Amino acid sequence: MANNHSLAVVTALILAVVSIFIALSFGAAPSKFIDVYHSLIGQGHDSFIERIIWQLRMPRTLLAFLAGSGLAIAGLILQTVTRNPLADPYLFGISSGASFGVVCFITITGVSAGISMSAAAFVGSLVTMLLLVFIAGRAGRGQVETMLLAGVALSFLFSAFTSLLLYFSDPQAITAILFWTLGSFARAHWETLWLPALVILSCTAIMIGFRRQLNAMLLGDESAVTLGIPVQRFRLLMLILSSLITAVLVAMCGGIGFVGLMIPHIVRFFISQGTPSGLMMTALVGGTFMVWVDVLSRILLANQELPIGVITSAIGSVFFLSLLYFRKRES
Amino acid sequence: MHTPDAAPPPLLKVTNLSWSVASTTILQSIDFSIKAGQFIGLLGPNGAGKSSLLRCLYRYSKPGSGEVAFAGQNIWQLSADEYAKQVAVVLQETPSQFNLSLYDVVSLGLTPHKSLFSSTTTTDKELILQAIEQVGLSHHCQQSFDSLSGGEKQRALIARSIVQGPKLLIMDEPTSHLDIKYQIQLMELAKSLNVTVLASFHDLNLAASMCDELLVLKKGRLVASGTPEQVITEKMLSDVFGVCAEVSLHPQSEQLDKVIPHITYFYGYQTGVTNGK
Repeated sequence: MANNHSLAVVTALILAVVSIFIALSFGAAPSKFIDVYHSLIGQGHDSFIERIIWQLRMPRTLLAFLAGSGLAIAGLILQTVTRNPLADPYLFGISSGASFGVVCFITITGVSAGISMSAAAFVGSLVTMLLLVFIAGRAGRGQVETMLLAGVALSFLFSAFTSLLLYFSDPQAITAILFWTLGSFARAHWETLWLPALVILSCTAIMIGFRRQLNAMLLGDESAVTLGIPVQRFRLLMLILSSLITAVLVAMCGGIGFVGLMIPHIVRFFISQGTPSGLMMTALVGGTFMVWVDVLSRILLANQELPIGVITSAIGSVFFLSLLYFRKRES
Repeated sequence: MHTPDAAPPPLLKVTNLSWSVASTTILQSIDFSIKAGQFIGLLGPNGAGKSSLLRCLYRYSKPGSGEVAFAGQNIWQLSADEYAKQVAVVLQETPSQFNLSLYDVVSLGLTPHKSLFSSTTTTDKELILQAIEQVGLSHHCQQSFDSLSGGEKQRALIARSIVQGPKLLIMDEPTSHLDIKYQIQLMELAKSLNVTVLASFHDLNLAASMCDELLVLKKGRLVASGTPEQVITEKMLSDVFGVCAEVSLHPQSEQLDKVIPHITYFYGYQTGVTNGK
């Protein structure tokens, strides 16, 4: 049975690599697989099309993959430590905090583009995260409920502030905000890609290290205590790690809903999350899914880019509903 | 029984333990100790503080005063991991919404023994499979834990504690919700493990037949302790549990060569026909 699991992970890994490869050949400028191959081999400085592939599509596709796997992992972890199947990285107000940061920044400076906007989003989500960790850290026994409710409350609080500021800003800022909230990978550059890569890889590594403790949390706090886990501190650590992932991604790509909620459930339909490969599978499936969403966002409308968040939610919901439907028929 | 000069400390020693929640006293000045190798039953009516006492023993609750010592050492001075290697716990009901398989649940017993990035070795896997076989669940190995019956879940948790390899096994009413056949099966399984066991019981007859010694709680105080023969008396049943009953000798006593008290309850509390003693 262990072989089955590693087989599944290897398959998912191959699928992910193939998907990235195929995704690189899609875009406004016509290109073939052979161009992708050439630009990867020769690092693509020879021709126009190879430069597009290497300098525009490659960082973008990698960011999409990182975002998908990061959000899926963060969702899985939060669902695990709260034992709540509806938990997702956005439930805890992190994206509302980010939106609020961005709106503040635009209102104060009038600038509505560039890396400083990402920085503002990052600061906004970090503030939310610290508030949440502070509240959850003082909660004691009822930590799970406090965490979930405080997250939702913070989310509404920051949304209210955001709406208030938007109400008094000019329409241009509103458009900028709207596009940002819906998510996009257009801001991907080689120069900034290291940050999400570093955060997501290291947080995921820590989570894989704690995989036994994570499984133990599923059987309840009391049971986890008897297995030697300092439950409340552990839950805070996991909350901080998944919030960090979310904050970095929200800052880079805006709001991309539903992936964090849905991917862990889809993976769980097929493989027990208790296995060591469960976490890897979730990350790989999440990343591959997002790569394809990005492809769709670029090709659905000619010469125009659809917001990522719209596609994830639309495809995601339909796919998820049909999975639920067919599973019910099976049983 | 003879005591050598340097007697080892008892496996578990509870001294003057009290615990209260929001100024309500739940447990009050409890003293007892458990010798290695014993099978101890904890009895008491609903709300007597059985679960609260056990929680203080497995470090879920920190007592307000008093001390719990494991092999001579205060349990709060040990690290959580260290203590979990010594003491395993089977709880009454285990929630699980996600699809952990039985194998996954049993392998959680390794948790306190493993450092962060260490992998599960072949020896570990053999240990897990052996434990599953020992509780008779081999054919359910890859089945989801949720889909198991109540008795199978409890057996799976016992397999988990086998993997945990403890010196002391604490069980909090492990047999509630189970059919009588599985109650007996589960307790005999626990007894066959050859570790020290402290279990709370609902069924007094089952406790009387399984345990070497019994502890009886009433309103947070320890009111009786000793062998089943000493503890299970008609007076105790009336004082602590508020029932009229007759205690006789269990028919198997002679065959098993030990005194097993057997309780026969009297009925008719509403109409007043009870003529118990």
